[in-house]
Amino acid sequence: MPAARPVTWPSLFSALMYAFMYFPIIVLGVYSFNDSRYSASWEGFSLRWYKSLFSDRRLLSALQDSLTIAIVAVSISAVLGTLMAVGLARYRFRGRGLYRGVSYLPLIVPDIAIAVATLVFLASVAIPLSLGTIIAAHMVFCLAYIAVVVSSRLQQLDPNLEEAALDLGATPTQALLKVLIPQLAPGIIAGCLLAFVLSMDDLLISSFTAGGGANPLPIEIFSRVRTGVKPDINALSVVLILGSALLAGLAEYVRYWGDRRQRQAQ
Amino acid sequence: MREWGDEGMGGWGEIRILTAFAFLTLPTFLTLPTFLTLPTFLTLPMAPISSPKIPWAERLAPRRWLGPVVMLGPAGVWLLLLLVLPTLLILEISLVPGLRLGQPSGGYGLGNYLQILQPVYLRVIGRSLSFAVGSTLLCLVLGFPVAYWLALMSPQRWRNLLLVGFILPLWTSSLLRAYAWTAILRPSGVLNTIFTAVGLPAQAWLNTPTAVFIGLTYSFLPYMVLILYASLEKLDTRLLEAAADLGATPFQGFWKITIPQVLPGIAAGSLLVFISTLGDFVVPTLLGGASSMNISRLIYNQFLGPTRAWGFGSALSMLLILAVSLSIALLLRYGDKSTVTEPS
Amino acid sequence: MAGLAAANCRQNLAGPPAGGGGGDGSLHIYTWANYTDDGLAAAFTERTGIPVVIDIFDSNEVMLTRLQAGGGDAYSIIYPSDYMVSEMIDLGLLTELDKERLSGLENLKAKWRNPAYDPDNAHSVPFCWGTTGLLYNREAVPGTPTDWDFLWKNQAALSRRITMLDDMRETLGATLKSLGYSYNSNNPAEIEAAYKRLLELRPDIAAFKTTGFENELLGGDLSVSMAYSSDAIALTLEDNRMEYIIPASGASLWTDTLAIPATAPNPDAAYQWINFLLEPEVASAAVKRLLFATANQAAFDRLPAEIQGNEDLYPSEAILAKSEGIVAVDTASTDLFDQFWTKVTSA
Repeated sequence: MPAARPVTWPSLFSALMYAFMYFPIIVLGVYSFNDSRYSASWEGFSLRWYKSLFSDRRLLSALQDSLTIAIVAVSISAVLGTLMAVGLARYRFRGRGLYRGVSYLPLIVPDIAIAVATLVFLASVAIPLSLGTIIAAHMVFCLAYIAVVVSSRLQQLDPNLEEAALDLGATPTQALLKVLIPQLAPGIIAGCLLAFVLSMDDLLISSFTAGGGANPLPIEIFSRVRTGVKPDINALSVVLILGSALLAGLAEYVRYWGDRRQRQAQ
Repeated sequence: MREWGDEGMGGWGEIRILTAFAFLTLPTFLTLPTFLTLPTFLTLPMAPISSPKIPWAERLAPRRWLGPVVMLGPAGVWLLLLLVLPTLLILEISLVPGLRLGQPSGGYGLGNYLQILQPVYLRVIGRSLSFAVGSTLLCLVLGFPVAYWLALMSPQRWRNLLLVGFILPLWTSSLLRAYAWTAILRPSGVLNTIFTAVGLPAQAWLNTPTAVFIGLTYSFLPYMVLILYASLEKLDTRLLEAAADLGATPFQGFWKITIPQVLPGIAAGSLLVFISTLGDFVVPTLLGGASSMNISRLIYNQFLGPTRAWGFGSALSMLLILAVSLSIALLLRYGDKSTVTEPS
Repeated sequence: MAGLAAANCRQNLAGPPAGGGGGDGSLHIYTWANYTDDGLAAAFTERTGIPVVIDIFDSNEVMLTRLQAGGGDAYSIIYPSDYMVSEMIDLGLLTELDKERLSGLENLKAKWRNPAYDPDNAHSVPFCWGTTGLLYNREAVPGTPTDWDFLWKNQAALSRRITMLDDMRETLGATLKSLGYSYNSNNPAEIEAAYKRLLELRPDIAAFKTTGFENELLGGDLSVSMAYSSDAIALTLEDNRMEYIIPASGASLWTDTLAIPATAPNPDAAYQWINFLLEPEVASAAVKRLLFATANQAAFDRLPAEIQGNEDLYPSEAILAKSEGIVAVDTASTDLFDQFWTKVTSA
């Protein structure tokens, strides 16, 4: 390829696609400052939707529910998923392929199928729906995603390090905690971030497992969108987008920091 | 595998690793559907702890099995309880015709599956497939030039940032992004304001399949670009230079060298988008109105809608799982015959 | 193991949901949109010290499913409509009310002292009532709608500018009515005829929505929406281009009630909530804000004249006489309704 010429058709087309990706977000942003209630035409600048957003207790409690679910599910899954990835890489046993296969299921089976299956299961064993059941259901896909990311990190590692630690007299547990886990850390963090975003965004699995007043943000947004939205939803989108951008920036920073440490180590 | 390590720590980088990894290790996926239906599966314990290669004495030593049990046990039990067992339950319920919540049910039969064969439901399935195929093609056509530009032509310094920039919308609520399109596509919305301003005829796309195609393409384009980028980045450009030296036109070079090299990426990206769009619920519900019932919405309605036909819903759900498995199997078969190189 | 769970599942799915979950001291309410607001909940909490948690449903069937699928012990108060009350009594899902613990029942309008769907209000207390009709934007429809068949006659002009309720009995029922049949037909031929007629209109229906059409109607993106009077009235007061009509061939007349699920946590709080809403002052204040038609005579008497005289909210007896309440149909007909509804919404 020749050195990048200033304007080529792929670059023009890409610019167009960037515009396509950001167009809806910009529209939401603009409407969030629109004074009109019906969102269709511009009727002057106003901050009232932001005011009503921050005094909307229901939305804030939905956000709190979502954060609780995501943090608890991701924290537990981080431990179990990492152990699962390491265990699958370390041990050979009958049914290992099957185990690994099942652990990939949540990545390929559509959400709706997992959601209805979980609902039927919970109904069949008469477990009342609550915040706890949402967390339990979210753990299934959080586990799977974290395990996959950790496995891929695991494959790049030097297996000799752990053996060396064992040779030098470390117990297997010590070798795991002191040698393997620190090396896996970037993978674990990244997997957690991914699982966190997916958990915060999940509508279907939450819808089918929510009960007892638990009302995560996606369910609340979905019900508002369907039952006639007040434009404070637009304001909420802007806040959420800024929040996610911050999180994404943080993730980039972690990456940068990891890179530097790796370079220093070499 | 080397290059993943360098980028494997950021949020987007992880998504990339994840998708690339997941789709390059497809053979493991293929074993799933068969195992799910095999009767032997029921008798196999899910937390497998025996290790045939190790002699008996060692196998009995507590350390030998403690490790695997501690590491694989909890996650295994969790997946068994909340994934495998529920899926088997759905399979069982799907075999009880006319099962309805709150009513006693009859014996086993294939009635729920036969019900799917009614023309109206076949149309729903056809519609789901056309949404999936259509938006996959759109994503490919729109995503390839972007990925190509990002991987090979964009300024090196800004490349990472540019890629992150394209993926960033994925970090926001998918519901809100779909909702944003309702504001754009409604007849009095932003799009028509623009259209009339430039002299194009106004369109009433909201609540039509067109809106669903736009919404699905928008939602899954970043995934496609991500996977194509990962594939194009590894492109051996020396081959292209050699071809050019030998007199090949850029067009020939593109078709004979670039495309074959990135075919695995194209296949993986298409599969990911196909699977995701086939089971998507949010976009058809918010943008499609009455005219775009797809399989996901139909399943949802059987469980949380007015009719409460759980048996029929379960049958549809099994069908969806089957369709997804089948598309993976097809990709693998296609992959074996073509020039797809087996990843190490 | 799977077999065992499956057998268990079949049992649990066939019977009423198991109870056992405890309450956390707060009152969990499962209701329609627009029936409660923060003000009402706050007033109750101030009075009794019991925090209120509100969840929203948009059709009776969704509420029933939630309750049966493990949510039975999650809610202390639910708001089923008339025919659903009968169905839920049959399923054993509702608590028989202890009249000793209720006060203010004498405030109810005479009509709701002994309703057909729940004789003697044994399991439910009527909360509000209304009709189902057509809400339209006067500037966006050809002519003036007077009856259901307006939709079919102006199908082409209204193409994809119509929404119908996402409610099986209401929407198929309105179609039955437009053919001159009853909302509660048990005749397979009539139900099928309604299905075919609704199917004719289907390509021109933009969406099946119970709520959420308001902005699009006001913005001019929709012309006509089938709507509950309680939702429609707010819009007609807000914008004078909006009109609500009760179709000439008759509409459905519904009553939404307060009931306590059989497995409800914290039934004491539930009784307190019912008593709270039966108080004339509370009820009339809520009606002024939320604009539903109250079934409480004492509360009605306290309303300002312009609300009392609002024909959309409180239609005349002549109009009411043409309307009919939806009642539970027999099992075979329910199956037919289910099948046809799924087909209409899938087509």
